[in-house]
Amino acid sequence: MLKIKNLHAEINGTPILQGIDLEVKPGETHAIMGPNGSGKSTLSHVLSGRDGYEVTQGSIEFNGKPLLELEPEERAGEGVFLAFQYPVEIPGVNNVYMLKAALNGIRTYRGEKELSAAEFLKLVKARVKAVGLNESLLNRPVNEGFSGGEKKRNEVFQMSVLEPRLAILDETDSGLDIDALKAVADGVNALRDAERAFVVVTHYQRLLDYIVPDYVHVLANGRIVKTGDKNLALELEARGYDWVLEEAAA
Amino acid sequence: MELTELLDEASSSYTQESAWLSACRQAASSAAKSSGLPTLKTEEWKYTSVAKLANAGLRLAQKQDADATDKAAQLLPPAAAANRIVLVNGYYSEQLSELESDTHLSVTRLHDLGEDDAQIAQLLSRGEDVFAQLNTATMTEGLVLDVADHVEQEQLVSIVFVATHPEPLLRTPRIIIRAGKNSRLRLIEEFVSGADDLGLTNVVSDVSVEDGASVWHHRIQEESRSSAQIGRINVDVGRDASFHSDSVAFGGGLTRIDIDVRLNQQGAECTLNGLFAVTDEQHVDHHTRVEHRVGDTHSRELYRGILDGRSRGVFNGKVVVHQDAQRITAEQASNNLLLSREAEIDTKPELEIYADDVSCAHGATVGELDQTALFYLRSRGVSEDEARALLTYAFAEKVIDAIPVAHVRRYIEQRFIGHQRMSETLELLSNG
Repeated sequence: MLKIKNLHAEINGTPILQGIDLEVKPGETHAIMGPNGSGKSTLSHVLSGRDGYEVTQGSIEFNGKPLLELEPEERAGEGVFLAFQYPVEIPGVNNVYMLKAALNGIRTYRGEKELSAAEFLKLVKARVKAVGLNESLLNRPVNEGFSGGEKKRNEVFQMSVLEPRLAILDETDSGLDIDALKAVADGVNALRDAERAFVVVTHYQRLLDYIVPDYVHVLANGRIVKTGDKNLALELEARGYDWVLEEAAA
Repeated sequence: MELTELLDEASSSYTQESAWLSACRQAASSAAKSSGLPTLKTEEWKYTSVAKLANAGLRLAQKQDADATDKAAQLLPPAAAANRIVLVNGYYSEQLSELESDTHLSVTRLHDLGEDDAQIAQLLSRGEDVFAQLNTATMTEGLVLDVADHVEQEQLVSIVFVATHPEPLLRTPRIIIRAGKNSRLRLIEEFVSGADDLGLTNVVSDVSVEDGASVWHHRIQEESRSSAQIGRINVDVGRDASFHSDSVAFGGGLTRIDIDVRLNQQGAECTLNGLFAVTDEQHVDHHTRVEHRVGDTHSRELYRGILDGRSRGVFNGKVVVHQDAQRITAEQASNNLLLSREAEIDTKPELEIYADDVSCAHGATVGELDQTALFYLRSRGVSEDEARALLTYAFAEKVIDAIPVAHVRRYIEQRFIGHQRMSETLELLSNG
């Protein structure tokens, strides 16, 4: 599904990613861990097409298409979804209307018929219950005045409506207390199936207790320096990152 | 505009009027001649040139024929109220206007007002600037809207100003509004014009909000690019009375709007909101002036401008607090969104304060669309064009939100997003 080959990227001339290789198959969940400044967020942003990053080498293929050549909305159309570390507040844009514009944008991209307002609202009402988002937040401006937990739940709610093929969770656990974390993880787990893949970017192992990954990769200095299963995350929690870095340097 | 010629033409054509009106016109005519047209050296017109109008060969609009009425009927927007007054090229159209009979609102044409009305004569003679003087001197139509004292049921009326003439006409309608004590009036003014219209609408509204009354004034300017408008709204607000204004300007090649509010008695308050969205070579200038003449008066002001192309916007907001007008509050904000590098905005707050116990705040911002928000929307699958439109609408929304007229909101949604699916979705949602 996702094939990243020798990916190099920089911000304002400063190299951040220095040769990432990663393959994600349908149904798999990959965790990307690493110390601060290792390039985790840059990887999420490059995957979703955010401005400000220059890819200097390498390629990303998504279901056979060159992802780097697509605009952010085209990537969404192909089925890529990024759950933001800091979901953006957009005063004046209604939450549910934004989602309708998004879903219909994706459907149009795929050559499918747009949903009517009534069809869309039926879908939304079903999903909002499943994710446990307070229904009153639907009619509010996007993320405006939401608590940290509500914002992250809103991201998962959007994901549940847009039904991506690949979801990237960028530090979704940051700023969440344990109850909010569990709720968000439940929402994500409900969306896991044999076709959908997840890339979970996180600094801490805590989230991985609830979203159990198939693979854990350690990112350091812009490269994946170690790959293992869920036990690697536990080891990192117990021993920190230094030993991996030393091992990689040796 | 050959100012003197226009004024002389007016003097010779309004000979049949009552003596008091004639006297008002003559005084205004002399005043206008001695004022002359403003230049860029005139402080109040520093950023707005009327040179093009001066050379446009304007003629005074004459009474309208059936042909003009037919053309105007094609241009009418959906009715915003059951009571609708239509003016065609500056003249009241009996055929296109509709007034319900069981209403507490009376409409009188100034020409039919035989006797001297001291209050009206005083309003007509005020002559704040050359265009107010020109309006009185050449006035094509004068309408007086009265709401009787103590009519607590909100009166709703719309006035549509239609301009449609292939020659450059000067249209000078005057609207005098008197909201009696403890009454409530909501007035929607819409300005539209034909695609081939040339010429200038020089309109003046005088609004008197008497003690305990509330007036909401929603003004939508959507004339074609070849039309020009110089408008003025003079407002007097009495004890515990309130005036709320929304001035929305999208159309016109050159638009200049002056809003002067005098808070005359304790407890008087006003809210002035404005939204302008212009592109290409359009020029829109709002000058507001709020006078806190006594203590315990309050004003709030929010103007938002959206500028694209090579358009130019001007906002000048003046607040004057008179001597010993204590315990007043005045807030003012001017926020502007530049969608093009060639667009320009000149925004200037002005405070003149002669009292010490006052709370005044003002702020001006100029910015571009939020790139992070744009990316967020696009990453969800919203196309770049729609994302820009949504964010532009969102910027305007804070002002639009205060306009409680559904068709105006839909109109603005259409203007910014290109469709009305948002309000359809939201209406469905709120209806369960």
